[in-house]
Amino acid sequence: MVLKIFFPTCCNTADSGLLIGRWIPGQDSAVVLAVIHYPFIPGQVKKYLSETQNQSQVDLAVLGSWSLPKDGQEGMDSFLKDLSTIFPNSRWLQLSREIGKRGFACQVVHNRITPPDPAQGGTDKKDQIIFIHYDQRKVMLSQLHPIHEESPGEESSELRAVFHTVAQSGPLFLLDRYDEGPLKLTHWQSEGREASIVVELSKQASVPLCIVLTWLVLLSFQLFLYVVCCRILNIWPVQFISSKMSTCVQTAYRTNHFQTVFSTKKATSHMEFMRKANIFVSFLVDMSLGLLLVSWLYRENHISQLANTLVPVADHVAKELQELLEWLMGAPAGLKMNRALDQVLGRFFLYHIHLWISYIRLMSPFIEMILWYVGLSACLGLTFALSVLSDIVALLTFHIYCFYVYGARLYCLKVYGLSSLWRLFCGKKWNVLRQRVDSCSYDLDQLFIGTLLFTILLFLLPTTALYYLVFTLLRLVVVMFQGVIHLAIDLINSFPLFAMGLRLCRSYRLAEGVKFRVLCEEPGTPLHLMMEINPLKCSSVLQRYRTPTYSCYPRDSWVDLCKKLFMGELIYPWKHKTTKTD
Amino acid sequence: MGANSGPGASPCASPVGPWRKVLYARQPFPDNHVDRRFLEELRRNIRVRQYRYWAVVRETGLVAQQVSCVAVFITLWSCMDQGRLGPSVLLWAATGCALPGYGLYEMLGGKDRERPRLADLQSAAVFLAFTFGFSPVLKTLTESVSTDTVYAMSAVMLLAHLLSFPYTQPSPPGSLSLNAALFASVCLASRLPGALHTFAMLSWALLVFALWPCLLHRLRERAEWSFPWAAGLVCAGGVGGLGAVWPGGALLLSLALLVLTLACPLLLVCLQRHKDNIHGPWDEAEIREDLSRFLS
Repeated sequence: MVLKIFFPTCCNTADSGLLIGRWIPGQDSAVVLAVIHYPFIPGQVKKYLSETQNQSQVDLAVLGSWSLPKDGQEGMDSFLKDLSTIFPNSRWLQLSREIGKRGFACQVVHNRITPPDPAQGGTDKKDQIIFIHYDQRKVMLSQLHPIHEESPGEESSELRAVFHTVAQSGPLFLLDRYDEGPLKLTHWQSEGREASIVVELSKQASVPLCIVLTWLVLLSFQLFLYVVCCRILNIWPVQFISSKMSTCVQTAYRTNHFQTVFSTKKATSHMEFMRKANIFVSFLVDMSLGLLLVSWLYRENHISQLANTLVPVADHVAKELQELLEWLMGAPAGLKMNRALDQVLGRFFLYHIHLWISYIRLMSPFIEMILWYVGLSACLGLTFALSVLSDIVALLTFHIYCFYVYGARLYCLKVYGLSSLWRLFCGKKWNVLRQRVDSCSYDLDQLFIGTLLFTILLFLLPTTALYYLVFTLLRLVVVMFQGVIHLAIDLINSFPLFAMGLRLCRSYRLAEGVKFRVLCEEPGTPLHLMMEINPLKCSSVLQRYRTPTYSCYPRDSWVDLCKKLFMGELIYPWKHKTTKTD
Repeated sequence: MGANSGPGASPCASPVGPWRKVLYARQPFPDNHVDRRFLEELRRNIRVRQYRYWAVVRETGLVAQQVSCVAVFITLWSCMDQGRLGPSVLLWAATGCALPGYGLYEMLGGKDRERPRLADLQSAAVFLAFTFGFSPVLKTLTESVSTDTVYAMSAVMLLAHLLSFPYTQPSPPGSLSLNAALFASVCLASRLPGALHTFAMLSWALLVFALWPCLLHRLRERAEWSFPWAAGLVCAGGVGGLGAVWPGGALLLSLALLVLTLACPLLLVCLQRHKDNIHGPWDEAEIREDLSRFLS
């Protein structure tokens, strides 16, 4: 068996004393956490250990003795050996280091007081010992990430236990050398507690401030939520429309975030803490970007410039559409269309555009004012500004959406009509009960009318399909533009900024595993390894700490989308029923 | 396994009994073993019918008259297309044919009526209303499609009508054949100069392709003597009509009809002698029992 001793690097030069740590249950390894210096009173050590154990929930024990002989302490060795009788343990480690040598010497004493284990006693001499040095501070702060499920080896669980032990024994590290107490310890913090004045001051100040702020925010939010969510949003049309407007979606999303961040409950798990921190940081970044945008917008009259370009652009789009329709009403690309239907459809759409242009003309004096007020929403964050932009685009291209819906409905009607009439043409029908095509004998008049309609639909299909195609393409352009905006919003909302910052600046905080480096390997002394922390990969950080948003939910695949487009079902934002009932 | 192990291995193991045609017993013979009695069960031509020439000729009348029906329809269309016949004349003629035809149909139908007269009237009203209502639409339907395409489509559809016509059971007319014929007639009718022309053409299509097969079927059922006469009349009408529009076509049609009614039956009767069907134990199992009691 190989005995592994995890030894903190800070204790390398500690004065002689007792090793405090923990035997990892089920594993042949020990974690050294601190060294208690001579002189001490054994009863006080036991009392201290049991107190710390109560606080940290780690079963601490005295592992053995540590000796680093200095001048005038020659007689320590035999004394430290005798200590094993005071602290009964099945195994007693005797570590000793000589000045000028890199390696430690180690002896394992099997205590005969405890019931003797003949098997262990037999292998006593063959025990091999490996020292694994670790940086106590980094190990304490780092969060070991689940190693992939494919290799749940023994090593991973042992490592996990080591990390857990070190992370849990925070109370042990509170005692520093300036504390007046009966015991003196060496650990990573023994030179004095690590803290910065600014952080401490802000911690002190932030507690009452946070409470007040939280109460204020929560109170106002509860009121807001009560009024908005319970009263207004639950009315059907409002609910329906708000689910289609990205501003409302973003508002709901941010409200949710607010509730998470400002909840008075302390984050218990690491994931929850990271989630809160991520949301908070992304919220701050969002706000600051939004304020930048506002400062740009309201300087040098940018708003009116925007308004002055927006109206002609909308006008121009309408003009282009009009020309497109006129082109479609002729013989577009030399296609043979049904003239009568072509004219009817073209005139219908032209009238629509006419209505639209007059609507824009009516709106144009107010657009600057609207933009001015809407621009204020950027104070709430860049995401709000982008959502508002997305909604404005949706509203300004409403005519395209209408055209698309008309075209799709007409086309869908034709496709479904043709498919069911084709079955009639072949003397078959769709059996709803059995969900299959059955043969059927029709009456004469059914056949006659069916064929008449089939012929008409078949000859009119190309015209409708062309209109549908053109308007679908237009609609897809708009949807793609909105999609890009939504992607940007989603990026800001869900990007784990805090986790990413931790990964970049304090890469040991998020550990994926460890790697070992040989420190010294001399014959006669145990092997010394240095344990270094492998930081988590950036892609895994993204994957694990990404805040879930609506874009994470599964959507149509590309094949489904193409099928829907072909069948003339509405793609976005209205969802179409998928069950087929003829 | 035992049967597959080959003829050489097994006979020494057990005394070889006679081969039996059973699957449940393990026998020391290969799977494909048969004995001498195999060919004794061979039988030839057990279900071949001996046709009489004139009976077959009589039956081919149905095919011939259907071909002639298509010819009659094409004649009417080309007359209208060329302006030789006005739509009102055709409409009156259609009425003149439909009413006596319906009377005859009813007379031959006897007592057991499946449909009430009101349903017939309703169907007629639906036909007329829809055709009349849709005829302006139908007229402009194929305006932008080239004439050749329309002709090609009509030809294909009329051919499909002739091929898929249910000659054994012509009443009610089969879906595909009737639909193909109607599709062709809509295509052709949309080439005519006016909406009324379209209406007249579609009415005639209905008469020729939908109602006439019903009447003919009833004639054949109830008064068998009249069937050859009716078929002959239609054939003569088709050839004569086509002759007035396109003499070469009429010649071709009459040749085709002659081949169809005289040469094809002769060929069938002659070839019947060379028929050599073999039946034996290798045939698929055939269920002879009446299964209708299980299916109901």
